[in-house]
Amino acid sequence: MFRILVSGAVMAALASSAMAQSTSPSAEEIVVGADLTRNPGQPFRVTDTLVEYINGQPHDRLTLVVFAKEDGGTHRFANLVRMVEPERDTGKMVLMNGSNMWFYDPSSKDSVRISPQQRLLGQAADGDVVTANLARDYAATLLGEEKLEDADRQNRTCWHLDLTASSDEAVYSRIEYWVEKNSDRPVKGKFYADSGRLLKIAYYRKYVEQLGRQRPSQTIVIDAVDQTLVTTMTNSDMRTEDIPDSWFHRDYLPRLKVE
Amino acid sequence: MRTLLAALCLILAAGSGAAQENGDLGLIPEAIDSEPAGPSPPASNAHGKYFLENDSTLASTRGNLTAAMPPPSPWLNRTSLDAYDQWSVDGTLFFTFSDRLNLSETNGTGAPAETSRNDVREVYGTWEPASETYVEFGRINLKNGVALGFNPTDFFKTRSAVAQASADPASLRDDRLGTLMLRAETIWDGGSATIAFAPRLQPPRPLDRTAPGWLNPSFDQTNGADRFLVALNPEIGDFGPQALIYHEGERTRFGLNLSHPLGQAIVAYAEWAGGNAPDLIANAISVGKATGTLPSTLPVLPSTSTGRALQNDLAVGASWSSAARITLNLEFHVHQAGFSSADWRNWFAVGAADPAAATELWYVRGYASDQQEPMSRQQVFLRADWQDAFIKDLELSAIAFVNPVDGSAMMQAAASRYLSGAWTVAGYFGGTFGGRRSEWGSIPGAVNATIQVVRYF
Repeated sequence: MFRILVSGAVMAALASSAMAQSTSPSAEEIVVGADLTRNPGQPFRVTDTLVEYINGQPHDRLTLVVFAKEDGGTHRFANLVRMVEPERDTGKMVLMNGSNMWFYDPSSKDSVRISPQQRLLGQAADGDVVTANLARDYAATLLGEEKLEDADRQNRTCWHLDLTASSDEAVYSRIEYWVEKNSDRPVKGKFYADSGRLLKIAYYRKYVEQLGRQRPSQTIVIDAVDQTLVTTMTNSDMRTEDIPDSWFHRDYLPRLKVE
Repeated sequence: MRTLLAALCLILAAGSGAAQENGDLGLIPEAIDSEPAGPSPPASNAHGKYFLENDSTLASTRGNLTAAMPPPSPWLNRTSLDAYDQWSVDGTLFFTFSDRLNLSETNGTGAPAETSRNDVREVYGTWEPASETYVEFGRINLKNGVALGFNPTDFFKTRSAVAQASADPASLRDDRLGTLMLRAETIWDGGSATIAFAPRLQPPRPLDRTAPGWLNPSFDQTNGADRFLVALNPEIGDFGPQALIYHEGERTRFGLNLSHPLGQAIVAYAEWAGGNAPDLIANAISVGKATGTLPSTLPVLPSTSTGRALQNDLAVGASWSSAARITLNLEFHVHQAGFSSADWRNWFAVGAADPAAATELWYVRGYASDQQEPMSRQQVFLRADWQDAFIKDLELSAIAFVNPVDGSAMMQAAASRYLSGAWTVAGYFGGTFGGRRSEWGSIPGAVNATIQVVRYF
């Protein structure tokens, strides 16, 4: 009897797995779809408000305006980030264009070249879990279908993917990624260091219509190393913007106007 | 059978893992649901940056100097109102204003000596006749250079320094006088080019004189000669190159900046400038005589050749950053026109033998400081910065300029606490160290400490 039960369970599992595989999109298609959900294909600007919570209480608030453009050839995003608040940081900017990264301070009118490591420092670094083009920098493997609660504790049926860095510009060594079936909506991501250490957990939520598609207007980033730290990133005012490539030159930083 | 059992265990384990996957939801603060439900209002740069700053400094002095010099004030309190803003007139026309008003008190005779000074750092208009092409006129702070401790290609840094609380060269670059100039810049997909002309407006002010009035714009500091600059920034590989040609008076200098990331954590950089010029001593004495500070018949002390030769300036270094938010910079500086070991020996020998020569000897050092150039031919610069050190919103930093020949150094440690977006409290502690006959051990200022409070608006 036991053997029959075991055999039946295994057969059922294998059958459902085979059916899932026959109808499911490829891992790469799922990641591309989720990328398109998070980031519009056309050049755009968006206002991000970051609130950092320490031990459950709001601590710091940061507002920045991001200009983003995808390179049609490399599918890599170039970003210009301008700080709006707090007051002491008003007007500071970061240019991120591959490994070409510069920090600009309006007080000194000076641009300082920064390392890829510095992109990962501070609250703004959480932008990596929002604007990264994962399909470009990671090789994806579909682990299967999984039921998951989203940040609002609603049950979601998701594809569970394992992403491994495949380019030198990948910020994280590995990402676990959950994307809702049939909607291309990312629900959750877990971001790992080279050592295998879990660094960040991201929940994508508050889907609203932005630039012709339902997109997450808020991302919750849990610091997995110091779990007392949680940052919410709320975006608004997303709009298409005519962004010439010349904007991603360091000498344009003092010229950027945010209106 | 064992295989089937293993497969079943894996399936069950996977199901169990999925059930546990939401364990981290408990880490999300309940307070996030009290954030505004809708998107926050669109942000803009509706205003610039305004702040009020107060610096209180205590300083100790070093006695028994080889070459005598009046000591600095033992205490200073300075209150500053700082403003930077930019306005758009019609989308193609912009106006920029940057200013600092200082009210200072130092020890005087019987009562504090009070001074006030307004530094108009920048005031200029920008016209954008075509996309990414700009024409600007007014007092502009034009800066170049990838290094931190010494910028050979920052040609407009000379005579631009204003009162500072910190000795960090980053602060010196933050707060300095611009130069009245006409500048044009164009930026394209593959690079940018800049051309600038700064006219001579007034004869250069002698080094030992202060501005005649608190509102005087000090053009006799920044516009004492006709100056031209051409800079080209092509995007070649990942080196961020910049080539410069600078002309002032009868001298032309060439410059080059390069930077390149090495892996994830390191950025290497190099900055060079060179051209025919006299050495530091000859140059300083020549300026001192031309501006009337030094008698025209004074012999050049310490003795040196007054001829011109190719003088190279070089700053080469690297920054390293860690995941713990620590950034270290290490640079080596070469200033070929600066003091050699023999020049230093002469300087101290003349100072010890002839007290009457002290004015001239210190004039040379004052000139180098005014030009923001090193005194010695070699110099090592270190900078360390740690953000969120030990606790959130605490920044610790330290700098050191080291003379590798005599081992003397100037150092400063700083701690800044960002109490909120509007309030910052900082402390600076610094000093000069070395033997009596060393570069840094021979200056009157020994140790100083400053408390700074800043309120942003």
